[in-house]
Amino acid sequence: MRRNRTAMAMVSGLALLVAACGSDGGDSAAEATTTEATTATTAEAAETTEAAETTEAATDTTMVEETTTTEYVAPARGDADLVIWADPTTQVPVVEPLAAQFAEEEGLNVSVLGVPGDKIRDQLAKAGPAGEGPDIIIGAHDWLGELVANGAVIPIDLGADVDNYADVAIQGFSYDGKLYGLPFAVENVALIRNVDLVPESPATWEDLEATALQLAADGTVEIPLALQENGNGDPYHNYPLFTGYGGYVFGTNPDGSYNPDDLGIDSPGALAAAEAFARWSEEGLVSKDISFDIMKESFMSGKAPFAITGPWSVGDFTDAGVNFVVEPIPSVNGNTPKVFVGVQGFMISSFSEAQDAAKTFLLDYINSEELQLAMYEAGNRPPAMTSAFEKIASDPIPYGFGLSAVNGQPMPAIPAMASVWDSWTSAYELVFTGTDPDTAFTEAAAAIREKIAGG
Amino acid sequence: MNDDHVVAPGRGTRVPRPGRVSLTTALVVKLGVLVVLNGLVLAGIQRMLANDEVAMAVFSGLALLVIDGVYLSERRFVPGKYLVPGTIFLVIFALYPVLYTVYISTTNYGTGNNLDRATAIAQLEAQSVASSDGAIRYELQILAQGDVDGPLAFLLTDPNGNRFLGTDAGLEPLDPSQIIADGRRETIAGYVALNTGEAQDRVDEVTSIAVPTDQGEVVNDGFRAAFAKLQRLQYDSATNTMRDVVDGTEYTVESGYFVAPDGTRLLPGWRANVGLDNYQRLISTSSVRGEFLRVFVWTLVFSIMSVVLSFALGMFLALVFNNPKMRAQKLYRSLIIIPYALPSFMTALVWKGMLNTQFGIVNRMLGVSIPWLDGQWMPYVSILLVNTWLGYPYMFLICTGALQSIPGDLNEAAIVDGASGVARFRRVTFPLLLIAVAPLLVASFAFNFNNFNLIYLLTEGKPSVLGSNAGRTDILISFTYKLAFGGGRGADYGYAATISFIIFMIVAGISAFSFRFTRRLEEIRR
Repeated sequence: MRRNRTAMAMVSGLALLVAACGSDGGDSAAEATTTEATTATTAEAAETTEAAETTEAATDTTMVEETTTTEYVAPARGDADLVIWADPTTQVPVVEPLAAQFAEEEGLNVSVLGVPGDKIRDQLAKAGPAGEGPDIIIGAHDWLGELVANGAVIPIDLGADVDNYADVAIQGFSYDGKLYGLPFAVENVALIRNVDLVPESPATWEDLEATALQLAADGTVEIPLALQENGNGDPYHNYPLFTGYGGYVFGTNPDGSYNPDDLGIDSPGALAAAEAFARWSEEGLVSKDISFDIMKESFMSGKAPFAITGPWSVGDFTDAGVNFVVEPIPSVNGNTPKVFVGVQGFMISSFSEAQDAAKTFLLDYINSEELQLAMYEAGNRPPAMTSAFEKIASDPIPYGFGLSAVNGQPMPAIPAMASVWDSWTSAYELVFTGTDPDTAFTEAAAAIREKIAGG
Repeated sequence: MNDDHVVAPGRGTRVPRPGRVSLTTALVVKLGVLVVLNGLVLAGIQRMLANDEVAMAVFSGLALLVIDGVYLSERRFVPGKYLVPGTIFLVIFALYPVLYTVYISTTNYGTGNNLDRATAIAQLEAQSVASSDGAIRYELQILAQGDVDGPLAFLLTDPNGNRFLGTDAGLEPLDPSQIIADGRRETIAGYVALNTGEAQDRVDEVTSIAVPTDQGEVVNDGFRAAFAKLQRLQYDSATNTMRDVVDGTEYTVESGYFVAPDGTRLLPGWRANVGLDNYQRLISTSSVRGEFLRVFVWTLVFSIMSVVLSFALGMFLALVFNNPKMRAQKLYRSLIIIPYALPSFMTALVWKGMLNTQFGIVNRMLGVSIPWLDGQWMPYVSILLVNTWLGYPYMFLICTGALQSIPGDLNEAAIVDGASGVARFRRVTFPLLLIAVAPLLVASFAFNFNNFNLIYLLTEGKPSVLGSNAGRTDILISFTYKLAFGGGRGADYGYAATISFIIFMIVAGISAFSFRFTRRLEEIRR
């Protein structure tokens, strides 16, 4: 492992000077693993340092080292006029036939390249300016803050068709009053209920609380509510409950966009929510020790009657043969809870030389109910187009998630959101470990405001 | 002339010696290697120049000249032959990253500032193009007069279904009867409809068409729509300002952004030199000032204790297994290596799961609920425990190696002199061991000082401290990460480089000091 290499590099000569080398090696390598988009030069330098060290300790190559040193490179454009980057497994097969149709009818070369979702942003920033990037990418709306700040995407005008899409999806892809993406799917959490343990849908969150705690007290279940907190606190999964008491993260402008100057982490509603979380933690409804794995395992094995999670978990629940339903979280404290909604969509690269052709493709070919339904078939996420969503009512799991999204808010994509997560997570953690909820959330809000101002 | 030098010693001696042959072979090999090296580096330089990496190209060229000079001259620079390659690698792999880090630390490079200035201005202007308020959005079909290479025109349809022919001369209303079908498309007599591919081939001509109307100039938006455009932002190179033509706001340049009088920044900005701003920011941020000392002390404690504990355990085991009477030595030794052979990325996460208070296997097996990763002191204990577990096999390995190199007669002599086991260890084995492993301990210290993986995977720096950005178990490097990537605007490479450089100075200082100490140890032996 690294220790060995650094050590070996150090012994290998030039004692004092190499001490500097070794420590810097550690330094720049840490940078390379944590900051994906460092310029090529630093990344290369870090890699070569490692390579040099590797030769001195050649026997010791671990798998993890390899993943950090092998840099992903997106497939080349070739001679295509229009290039689309999409997820290789779920999206390429859906987009490819449309691209082929477009290519034939419109007389240009279109290629759909598989690029893993977590690589697209980074690769766009690297390949785009060099003219090797895509014209269209498929991605999540919460990339927008970064993509717009980096000038990597261009606005799209859907004209009157904008009304065909769910409000939350359009709001998600809007930034500074402009639309930057054509949405096709939404993704969010909902309440998952084990029907064998709880046959009736609870009318309110307070009913759910009573039922869950009763089942745990009976010994029927081990965990009353599988809500992941990951050892600290999970603001994303807690958000619907947080909003039930009137908490919010950022206030909204009249046009639905978020206002970074109106932070709601220490609003009266938020403080009330924090107190509720302290109470739930006290009585055992929520536990900071529940990780994603524990959440999943406990629901799969029937050790938990309720879970709050998203479509990414339900495949395992189905495979485990759990008899469950997906439904919106019932009213919390008398209010409708709002989940954070992620929106997926098509965006056009600002580095593209075929932006007009790309717009034509999106408006004439992607902007259709058929595409939305095909994407839903492949990715199992509720469609963003209202008419397409109505057509999937017969498929209760995605439809349940979609219903939960109706009252949702798009996850803020504004840069200020980056300042929020850390302190917000800590605030929950402090509440769960006994700090006064008011103090924890007030201090967190102060820290977040300082970070936003300093950025 | 070099050839003369090489062959000269041979000429004087009449008797052929085998050494002469190998000398020539060596020369051929040397020249061959140099030729290959020159070829590779020159090719590299060519590519660097093509990519505008002038500084790197100049450095490579100079390095090549030095190498050629040193190795082609026979007699002079003999020490250089040994030192030059190492020095060049040192410059490339150690000095260059440090200097580059310093350079980045004086810029505002990060999310929102990663374009160059000209691109940023172009993006700002292009992004500000929008349909002017209330402008009609037309359906568009691009036409070409005569054949596909003929002059271009727009066939426009407004939302009410009225048709127009748009050219640089203006709008010309069309009667529905004039529209004729052209495959899937529509056209008018004398024109052909272009498909997207044909339009894309002439995209520059298409985008240069601006149809004057009473709403403004109608331009294409994609190849299927058109609207009267309005470019809100216009850059004035004379005053170096950006002007919003709608509300008249003047944006002036300020550290890599266009900034309005009220402080609003336009995004994207560009990568600009900000001097020592990042250093100033580091010093002036109250949360950093307050936390730095606490984090620094824990970083020191963590790295020193990690080395001491894992060294103590590793050395103890090495001493035990060094006993020749022990059976199945190799088996035990192999088993001890296991924590070291598993990737620490994985084991740290596994430990995190095992130490979970409510569901972790450790507490479940013991039937207790010790908050391993919570509270005032337990997280420190847990981290040191896990890091000792991760680190002792390495210490075991180097101690085993070093022990075997200690001459047995020294110990025998001590036995003859009547020294006890403890005294033999204290006076003979341990000092000799330390001479061999001390540099490695310093290295291990430097590694642990920046042991981001363990902290981030095991505790993420938690538990949190009320009102502070740094958690209880954050070390400098994980604190850096939180400051540089968890703050204001996503990734902030300039700021990260600033803190990295400061950490580098600390580690380099401590290492330099320690190596001086190590050298003193070596003098003991003499």
